[in-house]
Amino acid sequence: MNLGLVCEGEPGLAACRQLGQALRQRGACVTLLSPTEGNTAGNTGQDHLPWLPLAPLAAACSDLLQGLDAVGVFLEGAAVASFRRVHAEAARLRGAPPRPLFSGPIRPLCGDALTADLLPRLGYDLICVQGQAQQEELSWLLQDSGQTEQAVETIGLWCLPTQPIGHATSQQPMLLMLDQAELPPSPFANGVLYERLKAIALSSPGWLVRLQSESPLAVDPAEWPQTSLLWHGQQDLQRPANLQLGLADDLPMALIQASACLGIGSAWLISAMVWGKPTVVLGDYGIRTEFNGPLFFGSGAMQQLADCLPLERLLQLPPVNPHWLGSRGWAIADGPERLLRRLEQLGGEQP
Amino acid sequence: MSLELLLVADSDSQLLACQALARFGSEHEARITVNAIPREGTPEAVLRALERIGPVWGLSQPALLADRRLDQFDAIGVYLTGSKLADFRSTYHLSRQSLRRAVRPLFCGFNGVVLERFEEAIAWRLGYDLICLNGPRDQARLELLLRHTPFSGQRSVLTGLGRNRPVPAADQRLRRLVFAEQVVMPATALERRRLVRILARLARRSPEWELVIKPRVAPHETTFHTVDTHISHTLAETLGSPPANLQLNYAPLAELLPESRLLATVSSTALFDALDLGCKAVVMDDFGLRQDLGTPFFAGSGLLRSLATAGDLDSLEQGATADPEWLHWVGYHRDFSPANLLEAIGQLGQTPVPRQMRLSQPGYLVNATDLSINQLRRGAETAIRRGDFKEAVRLLEIAQLQRPEHRNISRRLAAVRHDNRWKLRLALLVSPGFRL
Repeated sequence: MNLGLVCEGEPGLAACRQLGQALRQRGACVTLLSPTEGNTAGNTGQDHLPWLPLAPLAAACSDLLQGLDAVGVFLEGAAVASFRRVHAEAARLRGAPPRPLFSGPIRPLCGDALTADLLPRLGYDLICVQGQAQQEELSWLLQDSGQTEQAVETIGLWCLPTQPIGHATSQQPMLLMLDQAELPPSPFANGVLYERLKAIALSSPGWLVRLQSESPLAVDPAEWPQTSLLWHGQQDLQRPANLQLGLADDLPMALIQASACLGIGSAWLISAMVWGKPTVVLGDYGIRTEFNGPLFFGSGAMQQLADCLPLERLLQLPPVNPHWLGSRGWAIADGPERLLRRLEQLGGEQP
Repeated sequence: MSLELLLVADSDSQLLACQALARFGSEHEARITVNAIPREGTPEAVLRALERIGPVWGLSQPALLADRRLDQFDAIGVYLTGSKLADFRSTYHLSRQSLRRAVRPLFCGFNGVVLERFEEAIAWRLGYDLICLNGPRDQARLELLLRHTPFSGQRSVLTGLGRNRPVPAADQRLRRLVFAEQVVMPATALERRRLVRILARLARRSPEWELVIKPRVAPHETTFHTVDTHISHTLAETLGSPPANLQLNYAPLAELLPESRLLATVSSTALFDALDLGCKAVVMDDFGLRQDLGTPFFAGSGLLRSLATAGDLDSLEQGATADPEWLHWVGYHRDFSPANLLEAIGQLGQTPVPRQMRLSQPGYLVNATDLSINQLRRGAETAIRRGDFKEAVRLLEIAQLQRPEHRNISRRLAAVRHDNRWKLRLALLVSPGFRL
């Protein structure tokens, strides 16, 4: 099959690159359609995917799409619906049928956030969700909206790094704190959390505590968001030696080396769980929608910060709830094959 | 068997939910008392309407928990916002324990359609003996959230979206459209002005109709949401002189709907009140299906209409019939009514004292586990009184993470962190404790 994957910026680009490589390993020919190629690390040599520098709406009406069997549109928000509308309009003017379009959430969402994400995807030829939980939520949305004919496929945790990694745990035990640039949403609240983590580092001299940004930050630290832990760490002139700051580029390697992983609502927590790292979802904020609490409610990995001390306790945590992880998409082992099968069916149904 | 129930509520929305339940109870051999916790801005009309149905008390929460009459009820229904719900459940159980009195089953529910934050709302409600849900849609969401967790045994009951005694549709109704305004849907001033302009144009195209905007609250009243601009101001500043057949009307919907032909709304539960009262209803989809407007919920209703492009109100009224499958799915069906709640309470009464669900579970956190600010601060004071300063620090640290800007929490936390016993005592004396 000849497929195109449309995206714009992160996290869509990393997700599409990952999906593209998985599909290519199963015999599909995949081209990335994106304004930028993004970070090409890990996308070199045999793994390199062909890339065309096209903005989404330019791609939507481009003749190049005519040569594709199907197009995956992994944009977010209003751009999802715009792409489909523009592509249909361009095809009408061209007098040719539109190409089969597939789409789906590029993050592990649930509840209100999932509904808001899925709404503009309704009407696509195929919606790809991650696991059974998202599939159920989509089925309710379809029932609410009377669109029960919508084609749906579960393709697993395709948008997250889940391939087996080496375990190269650092000699000094390391706690990796995933820093989300906007959580907690106020600089003051971030400052309080930073002070708490600093106190933990000071009281655990045998440990390394690493604050790891999960999204790319500006080159100049002065431009880092004040709602990030890294900004507070950078400002702190008395930061202890065992409290390190890490940028997004280093995240996969830092996670490989980490002894345990901590976060509020980051998608990377799921990768850490899949990789079997002792993982804690910080529960001090309670189940709050804007903190992604509903997603991790059933994970069995929620703890209060005080209950993680001394940090050695993290190494004896019970494993994550396997039913929950399975329902989020980890139970789907053949996602790319499922997708290719459905796309072939779609191709057969097209006039 | 006749049941004696107490309903506890504070805001106007919650009192309206109690009103519907009280009315149903009075017609089905249940004696229902409502305790309206005093709160500024509660509309007098709502309280008067409750008094016409049954006894109404006005006790604060502490006074209510100390009142001996609390023990005369077969069950207590709590209709408060999330953190207050959890706080009530927790303090009720503590008070029964300290007074050595029997615990009655507690139930809670939602007031109308749940358009957002359902999971968060459930996380506050866990531990109640019964959670009232609207219909199969909410039940499916509850089941998915709790599946494979230690809370999967949480009991729930489907009580439906019908809130009024049904009134048949009749031909002699006024040619009147009631628009049920909501204070934040839409929320932006720009969209609210657009809404008003669409309604004004529709009124002009339908000179034989009367178009009534029913504001959610009067300008001096308060509700759950805070707003900068009342709809009456938006109307005045957008239109200058509105068409003669477009008016604001503050009469209760229960008075307006039985004599009107049509209701329109963006996403209000009032749609189901209209159906109860024999009034046709449409959902305004001029702003599109948006999660922030709550419109996706109504997408399958068969009632979505553009008011901007509708020819006139006669054409809008035609064919405004809701899809029966959708109505059943969301909970508007005779299978789902407060009768299910009364039956479930009756069954609870026949079993030995219901066992409390254990909310503290390793690896799981629910808001109902004393995670509200008030509960954390109260817990810290209790720990201080028994000399457990480590526990006080733990609770105040959580409270500080949740409310970092709260100076009294920070001062109290600084006090209990003192290692030196005398300094600690002194700091406790000068830092503010917590009293509800």
